[in-house]
Amino acid sequence: MGDHCEQAMRKLSVYIDRELSDAEVRRVKAHLDDCPPCEKVFDFQAEMKRLVRKECCTDDAPARLRDWVRQLATENPPARDREV
Amino acid sequence: MSSDFSLFERHVDALYRSALRLTRKPEDAEDLVQETYLRAYRYRNRFKPGTNEKAWLFTIMTNVFRNRLRQRPAPTEPLDQPGTDFSIYDQLRREGMPVHLMSPEEIIVERGFGDEVKHALEELPLPMRMVVVLVDVEDFSYKEVASILGIKIGTVMSRLHRGRQALQKKLWEYSGRPRARPVAVGAN
Ligand SMILES: [Zn+2]
Repeated sequence: MGDHCEQAMRKLSVYIDRELSDAEVRRVKAHLDDCPPCEKVFDFQAEMKRLVRKECCTDDAPARLRDWVRQLATENPPARDREV
Repeated sequence: MSSDFSLFERHVDALYRSALRLTRKPEDAEDLVQETYLRAYRYRNRFKPGTNEKAWLFTIMTNVFRNRLRQRPAPTEPLDQPGTDFSIYDQLRREGMPVHLMSPEEIIVERGFGDEVKHALEELPLPMRMVVVLVDVEDFSYKEVASILGIKIGTVMSRLHRGRQALQKKLWEYSGRPRARPVAVGAN
């Protein structure tokens, strides 16, 4: 792995999290275009991130909780239906 | 003010699914979200209109959650240990899988890594789990996560890095369980 690869790898997380400046993004992209092995690693990690999101977004709030929250905005906030 | 509060209602699914990852139990998650909204309602005048209401709600929720942990600490909580470098991609490459010829989706489906993401995430030590949930699931920026959790951005990044590696390690272990391959002891 060359210097450029190592530099790119250090930016992997910040790149897939879209936390880099435009200039830095261009620099990383330029390397990935030239370096298929690095590009594969980046693509895989980005897909893992999407996977975590996709798998965890399947749990919606129960209807009764949603209703309870909606009622909070009304004049008489409901009592909590469960005591701690 | 009642119309303003509707701004907060729309985040109930996000709060609930994150509460579920933190508490691991539907009834505890529901309770945590209720407590979060009660506080949000009580302190709704402290919210600055135009700022990020989702981040505000998550700040409340993580504070409530951490206060509860302090009151009744979970003895089974794993320690926040430094992880060694781990990546599923490297493992597969080492195993001789032609990862360079496969799309990421193919790799994930082929080994069934998707099936146990939630389970794996819930096994991560809490400091890492919170950061992974906030960044990867809820799409908060590092800066927002730092503010929500009251930690430095550098800490967000290191927990995220370790959390993701730990997550992949768990997924790797799970995926090896049902169709265990004969692997020489001490290999790799
Ligand atoms: Zn490279």
